[in-house]
Amino acid sequence: MTNSIPEIRDTELMFVIGSNTTEAHPIIAMEMKRAVRNGSKLIVADPRKIWLAEIADLHLQLRPGTDVALLTAMAHVIIAEGLVDEAFVANHTVDFEDVKAAVAETTPEWAETITGCPAEDIRTAARWYATTDKAGVYYTLGITEHSHGTDNVYSLANLVAMTGHLGKRSAGLNPLRGQNNVQGANDAGASPVFYPGYQRVQDPVARKRFEEAWGVPLSPHDGLNLNVMMKALNKGDIKGLYVMGEDIVISEPNCSALEVGLNDAEFVVVQDIFMNETCRFADVILPAACFAEKDGVFTNSDRRVQRVRKAVEAPGEARPDWEIICDLARACGYPMPHYSGPAEVYAEMAALTDKFSGISHERIEAEGGLQWPCPTLDHPGTPTLHQGAPLIGKVEFQGVAYRPSEELPDEEYPLVLSTGRTLYHYNAATQTRRASGPMAKQPVNFVEMHRKDARRRGLNDGEVVTVRSRRGAIEATVAVSPRMRRGCVWMPLHFPESNTNRLTNDAGDPVTATAEYKVCAVQIDGIAR
Amino acid sequence: MSDTIRLVVDGEEVEVPTGSTLLAATARAGADVPTLCHDPRLDPMGSCRMCLVEVEGQRRLQPACAYPAMEGQVVHTSTDRVERHRQVLLSMYCADHTLDADGLPAERALGNQLRAHVEAFGTGPTLPPIGTPRAGREDPNPYIHFDPDSCIACARCVRYCDEVEAVSAITLAMRGSSTTIATADQVGLLDSSCELCGGCIDTCPTGAMSEKRALGLLGADEETVRSTCNFCGVGCQLDLHVRDGEVVRVSSPPPGTTVNDGNLCVKGRFATEFINHPDRLTVPLIRGDDGELHEATWDEAIRVTAAGLMGVKERYGADALGFVSSSRCTGEENYLVQKLSRAAFGTNNCHQCAAT
Repeated sequence: MTNSIPEIRDTELMFVIGSNTTEAHPIIAMEMKRAVRNGSKLIVADPRKIWLAEIADLHLQLRPGTDVALLTAMAHVIIAEGLVDEAFVANHTVDFEDVKAAVAETTPEWAETITGCPAEDIRTAARWYATTDKAGVYYTLGITEHSHGTDNVYSLANLVAMTGHLGKRSAGLNPLRGQNNVQGANDAGASPVFYPGYQRVQDPVARKRFEEAWGVPLSPHDGLNLNVMMKALNKGDIKGLYVMGEDIVISEPNCSALEVGLNDAEFVVVQDIFMNETCRFADVILPAACFAEKDGVFTNSDRRVQRVRKAVEAPGEARPDWEIICDLARACGYPMPHYSGPAEVYAEMAALTDKFSGISHERIEAEGGLQWPCPTLDHPGTPTLHQGAPLIGKVEFQGVAYRPSEELPDEEYPLVLSTGRTLYHYNAATQTRRASGPMAKQPVNFVEMHRKDARRRGLNDGEVVTVRSRRGAIEATVAVSPRMRRGCVWMPLHFPESNTNRLTNDAGDPVTATAEYKVCAVQIDGIAR
Repeated sequence: MSDTIRLVVDGEEVEVPTGSTLLAATARAGADVPTLCHDPRLDPMGSCRMCLVEVEGQRRLQPACAYPAMEGQVVHTSTDRVERHRQVLLSMYCADHTLDADGLPAERALGNQLRAHVEAFGTGPTLPPIGTPRAGREDPNPYIHFDPDSCIACARCVRYCDEVEAVSAITLAMRGSSTTIATADQVGLLDSSCELCGGCIDTCPTGAMSEKRALGLLGADEETVRSTCNFCGVGCQLDLHVRDGEVVRVSSPPPGTTVNDGNLCVKGRFATEFINHPDRLTVPLIRGDDGELHEATWDEAIRVTAAGLMGVKERYGADALGFVSSSRCTGEENYLVQKLSRAAFGTNNCHQCAAT
């Protein structure tokens, strides 16, 4: 997030797109509800009539995968109606001409034919967003989990930059991060292209810095990102896999292909707190401590580095992941230091970066969470990014053009499936499937569908059906829902016995390779009993 | 209109933003005005009468939580009249509350503000118990317990459910001394619009709303450890309550102190059963030649893991290895996995599920 969670309550307009905030980020949603109570406008763009759409001033119920059409049409309106923040564009951006050219023809009427949203609503959204001072964009995986996810993000960034909604409180471009420490994992360099602190592995200066610190030569080539790594496993290019704290069989798309790859791999290690689906393929399983049993830091959505503290002992012989990793490195012949604890590990990382070099366990202990960039020990941290000017100097506009999702509905598979998370469960759900409240609320997998799509197939609410795509078939319970668009269905991903990722498409974004969890074609059939 | 106003509280001049309440002004002056129905996340209700103070020029005592601070006001927070009012009011509350053997409002859950006020200010004449039965309800939900006899009908839970969580699952029902907290048609919370956030437990001043699993346990007997939630990316701060080596409940730090402003969701507050779950992996396992998993020592497991990964590297090169790190684990652990991948094995094939 460019801005901070506590700033949301003072905002004047929220543009929430591709985020079912009340379920995926309930506490951020509470801030949004408070903002609406305080008079903020709310625009929701989502194929489903999600909870926030109920209190929104405007709900753009677009077809899944048509975000670029919607957003370029909004840009078209802002430019055509002279609502551009000319001063911001002149002082802080380059290549505005590219966007102007790209959106010259993307009228709201054109976008209506693609998105299904009325042209007048698109105009209204563009006008409200451009003419409100404190207007923030909030998005999550509904934007990124597409074969054109990068284009979606570029389109949003274009809107933010052309209206100058950057570098001020209660505005900005705010991806709400999905996991407790997905920000921190990237920050720490668990990335095929970045060392800690977003230093490129291809940058010789950065590489030298880490080679000197770690005392070994390092590979100059970018590694494989997760989706590509999973495909490489299937092709036999990856032969050995170490998996810490993720059930990839549940979480990754097109899991049947992944299972073939895992089965063919020569060596698989799983390090986790529960036996999970990926463990079926493991040669070694290492029992780990959970968050309540170890020390360290998590970095949240608004770049806030906060402490995790050990409250109880890990069960049996389970050990904190950091200790296991250090032992393993030493067993492989690498002289990993004998760290006294996570504080010392953090200090080693902070010293190798510029963004976090002012952060330490000691400071967090004394001052509470710190938001990076925080370059020096007396720096207070940065709640709002880009104040004064963009951090990278100039914002580069990106002209992007709409292209359809990889797999569109047809006669054989006429429904568009989107997938996601619910309030009551969490991802692979090893934790929440063992919680009594979530199990009382949502015990089994379901498929949300429009009443007319159900009726056409002779299906009733609560009936168990088969959902099938080109990649697999699973059973789930029909949930007829007023939230759905006709022709669209939605399923959660939390149920190993009915793994929704048997259906999803592993087509990836060309830049990030993030998979298209949000759009694939399926058919739903009743089951003869 | 000026941005700030000045007034005098207990003889001390204070300056507060225009639009502040007297409660904010008295807090600024360092005066400790007791409250029950006040929660900074909620609109003022002024119903409990605990925070009444004397405002010069006003015939009646005024509720500090709801009364606007005004330029030139002179306010007294602890005159004889105010003290007398508090004692009589507390007597009235005690006449309609579960008392312990010492005649004090019973200690419950994470504390009872009513009891703390009685201890701080004393009571006036002992009034006969009211004893009107209040309707409770059978509620099979696994988390939230409601004890009508400890409820003071301040409606903080109802207002929280409406104003903050905005699901309006609970409501005030009945009248007078029968007033209680109910759901529509008294259905259980699982069948209502409740999302099990437990904010009602958090805001309840007397512990009438409490946590089923920790029922009867007193917060005073628990060690609390401040940590960060392990579910989504909001970064809510949690206080893990530990008793006999187990996390028995989770509460939020007070409003206004952390990013979650006193709020938690169903997962953060309640979904901790996994920590002590019997399914936890407790010993390293190695797959034998028979295809089955066998228990092993850590030494064996680390040795076999190292040999397996190094073997792949020797046969196919380092880039035939992949390291899946975890956005659920700590920053330090992610740092160490990428260091393991890059420095110990020599490959940049290291990633985690980062799509946003």
